[in-house]
Amino acid sequence: MQKIATTTWIILIILTISSALIFKLDGSYVTIIILILSALKFLGISFQFMEMKKAHMAWKTIIISFIIVFVMGQLLIIA
Amino acid sequence: MQTQQINHKNFYFPPGGILIWIIIFLELLTFGIALIAMLYYGNQDVEGFNSSRLKLNTTYGMLNTLFLLTSGYFMAVSVTALKKGDKRTFNKLLFYTVLFGVLFLCLKSLEYYEKLSEGIGIAYNTFFTFYWMLTLFHVIHVVVGLVILTSVYFGIRKETSNTTIEDVEASAAFWHMCDLIWIMLFPVIYLIF
Repeated sequence: MQKIATTTWIILIILTISSALIFKLDGSYVTIIILILSALKFLGISFQFMEMKKAHMAWKTIIISFIIVFVMGQLLIIA
Repeated sequence: MQTQQINHKNFYFPPGGILIWIIIFLELLTFGIALIAMLYYGNQDVEGFNSSRLKLNTTYGMLNTLFLLTSGYFMAVSVTALKKGDKRTFNKLLFYTVLFGVLFLCLKSLEYYEKLSEGIGIAYNTFFTFYWMLTLFHVIHVVVGLVILTSVYFGIRKETSNTTIEDVEASAAFWHMCDLIWIMLFPVIYLIF
């Protein structure tokens, strides 16, 4: 568990720094990439740190559906 | 400490318990709707939101994200240590969890101090109304989380502690919820506009 948590933490740190660097670039795709990176971080925390990977399939479906709807909602408003 | 085997594959027993997960989803929904509203208003006033966003320090936002992620990491490994019965390691890792939570609050306080010194309060404009409301509401959750974790830290040290592993998992789930909320706030407030 500790090795997986450490790997997850390193990935989350890399994704955070990447988001902060990517936002300085120009282009319409930048917003989409930032939102996708934040969705990946959200899933990393919920599935690895909060151990949702061990939960019933319904909980996994709810959390994945929530972040997909949230990101799609944001993209629809921005577009 | 009471330990018992919980089958998390059972729908009614997700890690931390079903009640904390109902709270987590309600919180995520509340913040999610507020952030969608912020984007909607941002679309009505793109230039205003962009110039307001430029008044924020993105480095502070990124550092705060790193603090919360690191705190969340220590929380996750501390729960693993406790499940193995290693209370000493649990307490040490829980201390680091609280420490990084406090660092988050210190940096947030500095950011708030700078904004207030510049005369940027909650009524400055629509962007900053959302900024203050959302970040302050999140800070309140962080403070509540720190109080819960401090209570667990001292409670578990007692010889006659009646804290169960599910209590600790529920506290951890609440703390991770603060991470999740911040992960949603960070790109919308500091990066997108």
